[in-house]
Amino acid sequence: MRFMVCLKPVPEPGTVRVDPETHTLKRESATLILNPADRYALEAAVELKEKTGAEVVAVMMGPPNAAPLLKEAYACGADEVYLLSDRAFAGADTLATSYVLSLAAQKLGAFDLIFCGKVSIDGETAQVGPELAAWLDWPSVIWVKELSPVEGGFEVVRVTDEGEERLVAKTPILFTIEPESNDPRPPSVKRLLEMLEKDVPTLTAEDLGADPARLGLEGSPTRVLDVFTPTYEGKKELLEGAAEEVVEKLVSILKERGLI
Amino acid sequence: MAEGVAIFAEWAGDGLHPVSFELLSEARRLADELESKVKAFFPAPPGQESQAEALIRHGADEVLYASHPAFENFLDDAASRLLVKMIREDTPEIFLFPATARGQALAPRVAGYLRLGLTAHCIAFEIGKEDRTLIQIRPSFGENVMAKIISLTKPQMATVRPGVFPKAKEDPARRGEIKKFPVSDEDARSALKVLERRPKAAPKVDLSRAKVVVAGGRGLGTKEFFAKLFELAELLEGAVGATRPVCHLGWISEDHMIGVSGQTVSPRLYFGFGISGAVHHLVGIRNPGLMVAVNTDPEAPLMKKADVAVVGDVREVLPLLIRRLKELKGESHEA
Ligand SMILES: Cc1cc2nc3c(=O)[nH]c(=O)nc-3n(C[C@H](O)[C@H](O)[C@H](O)COP(=O)(O)OP(=O)(O)OC[C@H]3O[C@@H](n4cnc5c(N)ncnc54)[C@H](O)[C@@H]3O)c2cc1C
Repeated sequence: MRFMVCLKPVPEPGTVRVDPETHTLKRESATLILNPADRYALEAAVELKEKTGAEVVAVMMGPPNAAPLLKEAYACGADEVYLLSDRAFAGADTLATSYVLSLAAQKLGAFDLIFCGKVSIDGETAQVGPELAAWLDWPSVIWVKELSPVEGGFEVVRVTDEGEERLVAKTPILFTIEPESNDPRPPSVKRLLEMLEKDVPTLTAEDLGADPARLGLEGSPTRVLDVFTPTYEGKKELLEGAAEEVVEKLVSILKERGLI
Repeated sequence: MAEGVAIFAEWAGDGLHPVSFELLSEARRLADELESKVKAFFPAPPGQESQAEALIRHGADEVLYASHPAFENFLDDAASRLLVKMIREDTPEIFLFPATARGQALAPRVAGYLRLGLTAHCIAFEIGKEDRTLIQIRPSFGENVMAKIISLTKPQMATVRPGVFPKAKEDPARRGEIKKFPVSDEDARSALKVLERRPKAAPKVDLSRAKVVVAGGRGLGTKEFFAKLFELAELLEGAVGATRPVCHLGWISEDHMIGVSGQTVSPRLYFGFGISGAVHHLVGIRNPGLMVAVNTDPEAPLMKKADVAVVGDVREVLPLLIRRLKELKGESHEA
């Protein structure tokens, strides 16, 4: 069996800047880290590989400076790692991103399973996983917290709004993995050293045979019209001074309002 | 031509998910502005005509009821293929999904199949005056910014979290049309088979109904000090809320998160201790009765937004407030 894991480089919180023209993230300016939720996806794939003897292929769409994150993924148990990188990918929304990932899935496959993280900490849309499944015309299950191979597929437990559901799923299929459903292993030093001198293989738009009209900002059906910072003018009460006094005032306001 | 404002009416296993009625209120508002119709797309098991009627009484003009026994359970693949088929035939101009577990599983699949734009977790919509475009407003990347987003494709699709819009009012006299959308066994075919549903033992923290919310942010400094909020919440018979960073720091579970990534609250009294007031957090606080902020920085956005802004160190103010409220309780017990 062969599994693909999709990993996203995200700006370390606090280091991100937004392009004033296009209102998209200026990823070059930020320190990149592996999206925290994706570690659980990688771990789920590696644990399943250990049970079933599959290969795990980690792919990441991102700028060249994201490559070290893939070395880390290798050190955490991925067998092959690929960076999907091209200037033409810049400014992609979730549809254009999932398109590129779908091309990688077809080029590097045939895969039985694709693993994605539940949600990224920057965009926070949680859309790329299920969109990728649709590009491939595969089924998908989101928020998977348990996973075991059974005859003809996998038995999974997914989190729902009402609780949980146990189901069986035929392959090929895409899962997004519920954070904290496993315990991601630290990178192996031996495997990190192995990668030290090596380059991470990179696939460009051309390598993937991509349709240029579907890439990057051009291929993105959503546009940011404008960003704005809300301002607030309240006829508010400002309580300043010694803590005892402000608490006393606060308590009397709460009393007045019948809140205590 | 694309026409109508559609919602996904969510079958939740034993009835409609209440968020369906919230989407209806906003869809109604948008449709009225566009002088258009509200359509509810409703895949569900057979025999749910009464639910379809409820959708009409709450503002739908048309319900497209796609019934099949397989839709008793939520099947991501079959449901998305069916919606794709329904959208191709019925071509709405706008499509709103709930950002529930099912909605979040479904909307991106539909967007992927139809190559559509999709905006997650919107908190407000506007209609562009000249071109009828749906302007989708959501908190953006980075700190303290909101983005206005448009889709170049139709239907213009967006998801909305539960609690963002008010529930539509019921009008028993409202009339509309229930259309049966035919579903074949092939349409209902799925790679998934649900074996068992396990309802939650204890309900997850439900902040949405709390009358008093005592929320804390990074300014509380430590997990231990953050726990003081539970004392205050107990005194006020309220619930504890949190910002995203403190959930990520492990001070409290994510069930308590308020904001675009968490829950929406509309309490009579909201307390924010050591919270800066990023839009991501603020959008989760709807129509609070009284908003109180405690912060050392009077310039913090939450301090500007609050009705009562207490300039002070939480390490002093919070314990004092707790002590004072305990004293008051003691007094009233004696009285
Ligand atoms: C895509 C995305 C989604 C997000 N979703 C959410 C969400 O759903 N909910 C959410 O809350 N956040 C969310 N965030 C994060 C959000 O942008 C803010 O970073 C976060 O709300 C800030 O949390 P905070 O107020 O606890 O921390 P900070 O912004 O660090 O504020 C701490 C405040 O405490 C004050 N303070 C410090 N010490 C003291 C003291 N001793 N006494 C009194 N005051 C003190 C400081 O003056 C400051 O104002 C999201 C971010 C992104 C990018």
